Amino acid sequence: MSSDARQKLFFREAIIRALREEMDRNERIIVLGQDVAEFGGSYREFEGLFERFGRARVRNTPVAESAMIGLGVGAAAAGLRALVTITYMDFLMLGLDPLVNYAAKARYKTGGQIEVPLVVKTTAGAKGQGVAHSQCIEAWLMAVPGLKVVVPATPADAYGLLKSALRERGPVVYVDHKRLFPTAGEVPNEETLIPLGEAAIRRCGSDVTIATFSFMTRIAERSAERLAAEGISCEIVDLRSLAPLDMATVCGSAGRTGALLTLEEGQLSCGVGAEVIFRARESLANLRTARIGALPAPVSSNPILEAACIPDVERVTDAVRGLLASR
Amino acid sequence: MIYKLVVPGPIEDVEEVRVLEWHGASGRAFEAGDLIVELETYKAIVEVRAAQHGILRALLCAAGEWQKVGLPLAVMSDDGAEALPDSLAAVAELPVEFEVS
Repeated sequence: MSSDARQKLFFREAIIRALREEMDRNERIIVLGQDVAEFGGSYREFEGLFERFGRARVRNTPVAESAMIGLGVGAAAAGLRALVTITYMDFLMLGLDPLVNYAAKARYKTGGQIEVPLVVKTTAGAKGQGVAHSQCIEAWLMAVPGLKVVVPATPADAYGLLKSALRERGPVVYVDHKRLFPTAGEVPNEETLIPLGEAAIRRCGSDVTIATFSFMTRIAERSAERLAAEGISCEIVDLRSLAPLDMATVCGSAGRTGALLTLEEGQLSCGVGAEVIFRARESLANLRTARIGALPAPVSSNPILEAACIPDVERVTDAVRGLLASR
Repeated sequence: MIYKLVVPGPIEDVEEVRVLEWHGASGRAFEAGDLIVELETYKAIVEVRAAQHGILRALLCAAGEWQKVGLPLAVMSDDGAEALPDSLAAVAELPVEFEVS
């Protein structure tokens, strides 16, 4: 089989494959979460792992996020490698104490004597579930030294980033977007790791750089298609990892186009775009910038209000036209 | 008359499916209610049943292959001897019933 052979997989199947390969490779990896065992996970993204690896390694937990992450941190500090799944990122808030105060600081606090190889896998984003099941709080986590944050947009990246996360020495938060689960994409047949901290250029263009991640990459791609029909050429940088952040790729692209638009589903205040644009401006003179995110309101379960709150193709294309008109 | 069997829809959130299993090969006659093909979405199985008589003439997507909602999976006809057209663009869709489970 040639090394570039690929197979199309549903998003959840790419996750299962990454977990299966890494759990085969390293018997110290355990999975902890609500309904991960016989049920196979809320998105069926753990299907088959319980049957393959058994109850000792694929364990159901109570609905108790702080205890779940605390257990994962302790297990990781004691020599296992834990993946804890928190179905919705909104409930990650309950587990921030063990994640931020213990996992992210253990190596520093113990002078390198204790490492916490923990992956917290969760989902972000709006999909009709209302104010406390729709949030994107990745930017909060970017502000924690010692924590890495990855945000795949494709099955291939879900596969490659999850595998890398499961080999890290410290804690990683791996974030899927709920709207990515219905998608499918080509994944290399050959085992492939994607290093944390490497962005990918999804589309080459010359007029404006759109830096984005996760599901918003698809909104950026649709926007770029529409703008191409008007003669506007967009380059899309999929950040893939928010901590560490690949500013070399962002600045390389923005330096060529001279215009940088950031696009995220979360809030603009202290958001991913604020950080990316500030850092880009530190190294690029005369860079025109704009950012798009959710409106400063809770995300409603009413579909009309939900759609009004989060970025869409119209807002992106309007913002690009506005940014280029400011030339 | 010639028909195309397409991936039925709409199915919430589903743009694309993978063919799980065909229930018959080229030449099989299906009657109303017969299960023709099972399709796999990201989280469910779709059973596609004939809503009228039709003979399966040509499979366009084998088991394991992918197709988008609304696009053809197979060519069917009323009569097994009818010549198949070069293009399916103007061909009618075979009426089907489908259930997502």
